[in-house]
Amino acid sequence: MRIWSRPIQFKSIHTKIALAFSCLILCTTVILSYSAYRLSTVAVTDTSLAYTKQLIDQVDKNIQTYIGNMESIATLSLSNNDLKRYLALKNPADPEGLQLTNQISNYFQSIVASRNDIASILFAGSNGALVSERPASDFKPYSELITQDWYAKASRSSGKVLISPSHVQHLYKDEYKWVVSISKPMPNPLPGTASGVLLVDLNYNVINDLCNQIQLGQRGYVFILDQAGDLIFHPQQQLIYSGLKSEDMPTLMQAKEGTFPSPEKEQNKIYTVSTSSFGWKIVGVTYAGDLIGNKKDMQLASMMWGGIALIIALGISILLSITLTRPIKVLEAHMKQVEKGNFNIRVDVEGANEISKLSRTFNLMIGKIKELMSQTLEDQEVKRISELKALQAQIQPHFLYNTLDSIIWMAEMGKVDEVVTMTSALSKLLRSSISKGEELIPIAVELQHIENYLTIQSIRYRNKFTYAIEVDPDIQNRRILKIILQPLVENAIYHGIKHSPERGHIHITGRRLDGMIELKVLDNGVGMSEEQLKSLMLKTRQAESGKGFGLHNVNHRIQLYFGDHYGLQFESEREEGTSVTVRIPDMPPLPNENDREN
Amino acid sequence: MKIRVGSVAIAVIMILLITAGYVVLSQGLEGKERPMILIPKTIDPHVEFWRVLNQGVSAAAKEYKTEVKVIGTKSESDIEEQIKLLEMAITEKPKAIILAATDYNRLVPTAQKVIDAGITLITVDSGLEGGLSASLIATDNYAAGRKAVETMKNYVQGPATYAIVSFVKTSTTQMDRENGVRDHLTQDPSIQVLDTLYSNGSEDKAYEQTKKLLSEHADIRGIFGLNEVSTIGAARALKELDPEQRIKLIGFDSSTDEVAFLEAGILQATVVQKPFNMGYLAVRTALEAYEGKKVKVNIDTGSEVITKENMYTSENQKLLFPFVEK
Repeated sequence: MRIWSRPIQFKSIHTKIALAFSCLILCTTVILSYSAYRLSTVAVTDTSLAYTKQLIDQVDKNIQTYIGNMESIATLSLSNNDLKRYLALKNPADPEGLQLTNQISNYFQSIVASRNDIASILFAGSNGALVSERPASDFKPYSELITQDWYAKASRSSGKVLISPSHVQHLYKDEYKWVVSISKPMPNPLPGTASGVLLVDLNYNVINDLCNQIQLGQRGYVFILDQAGDLIFHPQQQLIYSGLKSEDMPTLMQAKEGTFPSPEKEQNKIYTVSTSSFGWKIVGVTYAGDLIGNKKDMQLASMMWGGIALIIALGISILLSITLTRPIKVLEAHMKQVEKGNFNIRVDVEGANEISKLSRTFNLMIGKIKELMSQTLEDQEVKRISELKALQAQIQPHFLYNTLDSIIWMAEMGKVDEVVTMTSALSKLLRSSISKGEELIPIAVELQHIENYLTIQSIRYRNKFTYAIEVDPDIQNRRILKIILQPLVENAIYHGIKHSPERGHIHITGRRLDGMIELKVLDNGVGMSEEQLKSLMLKTRQAESGKGFGLHNVNHRIQLYFGDHYGLQFESEREEGTSVTVRIPDMPPLPNENDREN
Repeated sequence: MKIRVGSVAIAVIMILLITAGYVVLSQGLEGKERPMILIPKTIDPHVEFWRVLNQGVSAAAKEYKTEVKVIGTKSESDIEEQIKLLEMAITEKPKAIILAATDYNRLVPTAQKVIDAGITLITVDSGLEGGLSASLIATDNYAAGRKAVETMKNYVQGPATYAIVSFVKTSTTQMDRENGVRDHLTQDPSIQVLDTLYSNGSEDKAYEQTKKLLSEHADIRGIFGLNEVSTIGAARALKELDPEQRIKLIGFDSSTDEVAFLEAGILQATVVQKPFNMGYLAVRTALEAYEGKKVKVNIDTGSEVITKENMYTSENQKLLFPFVEK
């Protein structure tokens, strides 16, 4: 039961309005919250990317500062006069050389001691010179040192500074420090003197700390690539070497500056690149999801506010729909009462809106219906009475008595033919008046009836009048109210011809005119003066018994059935005669009219 | 009546919306609350292996936004204490427990309790009897042993006698390595393998044992040191008794001492593990298993053979000299 009753209940306007509002509000809220969320996401993303760029540039600057410092230290050290003299020696191991080694070593020591970012300074000359801030016993053999990259590459670099990737420095015995080294060959060595390379090691801790300090969202990190694409620093270097992770090297190597997403879409990485003056690339990696640090909070906030707005709006929509539909409900309740037959009500809905207009119209309509109903009742009553009266008028006892009297009289006189004619006419007249309850009959039937009537009257008023019936054959099957013509003919006989000294004539015509059917009863009797005509016409409109009542009834009945447009019309002139015109609508026969007649 | 039903329908929709919002919110909070617990064999800061493994764990924890709590014993041999720590970890109801079992058998009952409590269990470095854990992330030590033999073949050809210096008899790491070495050596019938020496984790004992062995067997051409301590002990003995470096030594693991012996040419090669990857993969796998994804029962983190020639390549120096922040 419940399952079926629900969809039906959704049909009520109230629910529909509420639902429509809800849908509308839901859509709007969802769209608004979503777009607000999107917009703020984009804004936050942009801001954090700009911030990332700043951070990366800062890292870049710091590293450049470190490298720059190291370069100037290298330049400074190389310009040391002791070093130049030391390099000029044929045999650095001779006493002078040892003395110089000591001096230079002290000089290097003072530099290293003053800066904790520098791990060591070492100079190796092609003449076998080897000096650092440490005692000579710590070194690995000279022959091994000069095969190492820093020396070999720098001595071929024609004066340029070399910056190595991060690596384990293995210059000293049993010491394996992570460093980034700068090696610089001795500039413009004097002719005849040996060449040499100075190595400055930067503590890798410096770069490590610098990069690790940077927080790029929850998961982001910084890494550094050198010119060749080797990793200087990467927090997950081991994973990259093992192939468990990868960075998009080709793209990174091409990029100089800027921000771009990783081509591997599923990683959601965003690279921010900054290239230092000596070719290192500082790369910041941020995760798109991380940029909006509190993405979840934002989602929750927009969901929560969206939800609150939704609940408020839904509440309002329910209230609104109730307010809107309440007058309709009132109206509906009243209509229910009307349905039950109670017309004595009024709907009181105040205001100027559609529903109050509707209720006013409803009130008007109810009033009208009430009026119409009472009128219909009245009309029905009048119709019934007038019909009854018509029937009574058809065969008045007086007429019957006179006719029978005439028949007796003629029988006594031995006028058998006339007795037969009259009796047969009377019998037909009686039969037509008792048979068939229909109000509307074909004109032909009405004409038969009137002919019977005229037959009887013409025998009774022997030689007093003649009659003729000329009705178009094509309107004979049209319908007419029964007992329309008889009162007219009766009037023509009793008021027109009876008082006329001459022999009278009654002429009945019928034709179609202007879409109506017009029947005329003409007599050449005494006629009427204008006053008489006027009072007759007045009488036909007023229900008064007595003289002219028949006419009134005929007119009244026609107008009741067909409207005020139709009815009787009189024309008369004294000593000339009277003509009564009956106008009725041209009504086609009922389809089974002919069957019934047969 | 109709109004009521409509309102009820809308009220129901609203309640559903609010509930959905609440569920999303509470889930978000729950994700942050429960950490993972890592129980390494030791939290001794002097043991580089575990520090590097920890770095891998931290890297993964950061990347996958999960909290990892590390609890552990001072010493690798404190099995009772590790069992207690594991019991304690269960009561904290973590997302997952990553365990480096100090004993192959004795931790099994407690590990079973972890699983019974519905907590994801991952073992790292050393597994458990019966393979209880969802996944074991470790070096394939048998394969590492095979690599050691293959490396040895570069230095020693033809029929030869070999010695193996190991650490503890019951350690699975040891057993796998030894089997790997032994199985691949004995494929060649001309090769003779002497009985394994057990140093029980003492460098001096390994040194003494190797010295004794060398004096007893003059025909030894190669020695396998199955861990750092054994390798150093053997290297010291070789330095003393074999100045011409005729006897070749292949070791395992890395330390400054081993590097020095590598550079000195006493140690020909060392097979190193990848603890960083181990830690990283342990966390990643634990998360996957926790989320109900299918994970491999065994994940080999691989090993590398490091020789004097390749020790300073950028890949290998990270393994040999892991950068550990001070």
